[in-house]
Amino acid sequence: MSLEEPEPEDGAVEVLPTAGDEIAELLGDLVVDREEHVNAPGFVIRPDAVQETLTRLRDEAGFDHLSCVTAEEREDRYESIYHLTSFDDRQREVSVVVPAPKDNPVSESAEPVFRTADWHEREAYDLIGVEYDDHPDLRRILLPDTWQGHPLSENYDQDRPQIVTLSEWENPLAEDHREEEGDTMYVNIGPHHPATHGVLHVKTVLDGEQVADVDPDIGYLHRCEEQMCQTKTYRHQIMPYPDRWDYASSGLLNEWAYARAAEDLNDIDVPEYAQIIRTMGAEFCRIASHMLAVGTFALDVYGDFTAIFMYAMRDREKVQKVLEDLTGQRMMFNYFRLGGVVWDLPEPREEFFETIRDFLDDLPEALEEYHDLITSNEILQARTIDTGVLPPEVAKSYGATGPVARGSGIDYDLRRDDPYGYYDELEWDVITEDGCDNFSRLLVRLREVEESAKIIEQCVDLLEDWPEEERTIQSNVPRTLRPEDDTEIYRAVEAAKGELGIYIRADGTEKPGRFKIRSPCFSNLQTLPEMSAGEYIPDMVASLGSLDIVLGEVDR
Amino acid sequence: MVPLQSQVLLPERIAGLLGLSGTVGQIVGGLLGAFLIANLLLVQTAVAGPWAKRKITAAFTDRIAVNRIGPFGLLTIVTDAVRLLSKELIIPEDVDRPSYDLGPLLVPFSALLGFAVIPMGNGIHLADPETGLVFAFAASSIASLGIVMMGYGSNNKYSLLGGLRAIASNIAYEIPLVVTAASVVVFTGTLQMSEVVAQQAEPLLTVAGVTIPQWFAFVNPFAFVLFVIANLAEVGRNPFDVPEAPTEIVAGFQTEYSSVYFVLIYLGEFIHIFLGGALAATLFLGGPAGPILPGFIWFTIKIWAFYLFTQWARSAIPRLRVDQFLDVGWKGMLVLSFANLALTAIIVGVIA
Repeated sequence: MSLEEPEPEDGAVEVLPTAGDEIAELLGDLVVDREEHVNAPGFVIRPDAVQETLTRLRDEAGFDHLSCVTAEEREDRYESIYHLTSFDDRQREVSVVVPAPKDNPVSESAEPVFRTADWHEREAYDLIGVEYDDHPDLRRILLPDTWQGHPLSENYDQDRPQIVTLSEWENPLAEDHREEEGDTMYVNIGPHHPATHGVLHVKTVLDGEQVADVDPDIGYLHRCEEQMCQTKTYRHQIMPYPDRWDYASSGLLNEWAYARAAEDLNDIDVPEYAQIIRTMGAEFCRIASHMLAVGTFALDVYGDFTAIFMYAMRDREKVQKVLEDLTGQRMMFNYFRLGGVVWDLPEPREEFFETIRDFLDDLPEALEEYHDLITSNEILQARTIDTGVLPPEVAKSYGATGPVARGSGIDYDLRRDDPYGYYDELEWDVITEDGCDNFSRLLVRLREVEESAKIIEQCVDLLEDWPEEERTIQSNVPRTLRPEDDTEIYRAVEAAKGELGIYIRADGTEKPGRFKIRSPCFSNLQTLPEMSAGEYIPDMVASLGSLDIVLGEVDR
Repeated sequence: MVPLQSQVLLPERIAGLLGLSGTVGQIVGGLLGAFLIANLLLVQTAVAGPWAKRKITAAFTDRIAVNRIGPFGLLTIVTDAVRLLSKELIIPEDVDRPSYDLGPLLVPFSALLGFAVIPMGNGIHLADPETGLVFAFAASSIASLGIVMMGYGSNNKYSLLGGLRAIASNIAYEIPLVVTAASVVVFTGTLQMSEVVAQQAEPLLTVAGVTIPQWFAFVNPFAFVLFVIANLAEVGRNPFDVPEAPTEIVAGFQTEYSSVYFVLIYLGEFIHIFLGGALAATLFLGGPAGPILPGFIWFTIKIWAFYLFTQWARSAIPRLRVDQFLDVGWKGMLVLSFANLALTAIIVGVIA
């Protein structure tokens, strides 16, 4: 946060209790206890009142966005925290805390109220061991079905070997033969398939060429990122990990998610100069990420060996070069620090600005080329318009964010709605398209590249004129950070794929007590069955491409 | 003008050179001629597959492509051939053996068979039956059978889907292809290839001293366009590469093939592209005709031009969805090709 920003932030905190009291009034005797999280008021409710509480908050208080579900095990209880906010006003937030007893960690599922809770609660069950009543399909999601124990629970024994013989595994081919007389065919799409963009396994039931049922199976790239962050110190050790969530060139955007949460948790200011550098770097990452998304989407629709993919990679390469100059790395930047960035712009500065300006000057022409090759191509339009339709209500219920939500006409962008960095000082627009289809999502990305270029241009102007003596890249941050025990915060930023949120609970030590990542891809991927039921296989593949998932972020 | 087409066919000439006659001469001449033509094509395919395809695609996508081994990377052809042939031939469990093995053989040889009746200029013409055109189409259709055998025999659902798509595409696009070819036959009144070529050598009109021959691409450009589009579907290239569709059904009928079988399938695909180009050249572009250069060179240029066109389409045009693909075939191409045939028949009938 810049030097100026804490004031409105503090102001907002002063307003919130009244809002909190209003919410408390609305919820009435559903509330058992009150908590105060850094980002929002928290309400403790009974484990059997989840659906009623969330329904009331959604329908009567406008909290229509279940951003994240965090589960954790405390000394005396299990806890599920529902981080609610609103698509219309992102700064209104509320946390619903649902404790469950140690010996019988069961609470009611939120799935009937928010569809997105389906996967989030499955993850909570898988990793922590909270069980959800009334959940339609409470299976493990990241770990194999045969896994013993819940790795993030307190008494989990890491040394206990997980020996599962092959015969105990569910045979993926068995389902093949489940209906002898059926007209449908079961196909495994992935984990090794050209169109799954990584190790995603889509269990697909086909009726002829049409998709009858889709069940994405994730977790092949689960690397315990949350647990790793919980074993590292706030100050320096966590920052390299975000680069590895969405590794497809969104590094700085991810780093910002952690930086924002940790800085707000520890009351760290960020100098304005560093904020501008951050904003510029982040937008470069967004361009690189969208280029890759457009290129691979074209690959899915066009087929291999097509020009667009190479053109997109060519333009992405230019961005990578700029980022390499700035950070010293091509992918795993590790450039942000709590309280700023690690170093100033590369010298000679003029040359660096020159490279950026050259890129920005060439960009309109390159985008024109993409529009010629892709969006104005009639076959591509025939392929993508009105396929993979995701109506706005459905998208909201699934917690879809980013270009996926904006392609469904949802005007929601954290850079504007919950400003951070230098975004609110700059001139740019939030792009939305009303088509709700694959084509809209493609258009949103291409147009967002233009907006990012606008932001970068303004940042470069500012940086060029910045007086030399005021180039402070880091504020003064203590060597060891020990946020107060039991402080909880959930903060999100607008990453390339959508709302990337981090929940941190401090436990009084220099390491987080609980570190939870709300991945936009995870929520967005949940919409795939909704988008592709009844469509042809090629449309399902195109929809998957238009979601632009990165499995590193889905599985974490 | 130099006669494009010597009246003597290749087997007879070989027999004559060897001093053989009678049945022995026919057999030896025929075998040697077939061997020569097959090798001509296989050499071209070898250039087209591992080298030209990469170079062309790279040119379209701003890359450099193979340039390490030999001049312009040409020796990549040799290394790739060795590499592909030395790989393990993996045969999955429970494949349907005879059909799994025969499929990859049928594909290239059906295409080669089609070349038996194609006049390639300079007397390179294996056989000239009265039913030449029909024979060429019939031979090239055998490939569909091979693809179905592969799709069914592979014991893989992607292959099965690919096989089904291949059948659907063959039925949908072969009819317009043959019907459009029939509109040429309405002009020529014969199916014999040498005759089709000879008639196209007649002058159409003379502009400023340059005589434009009566190539059917000039006489009926609409039919030519239809034929080329249907041909793209026939050889399975974008926007019609639905039977393969790597990003959807993982190369369809070829999913389970490796090593030698993979090479055979690829050979078959490329020879098919060349056969498609050869048919287009013979029916619409005067066969081996052309100024100055020898006929065979012109013929080669024409089939390579078609090859370049397929690669261009592949680099630049999105793939249709399978239902749209069939819609275009049945509701578009079929109707247009019949309209073209009827109109041609009426016009020819009125003029004649």
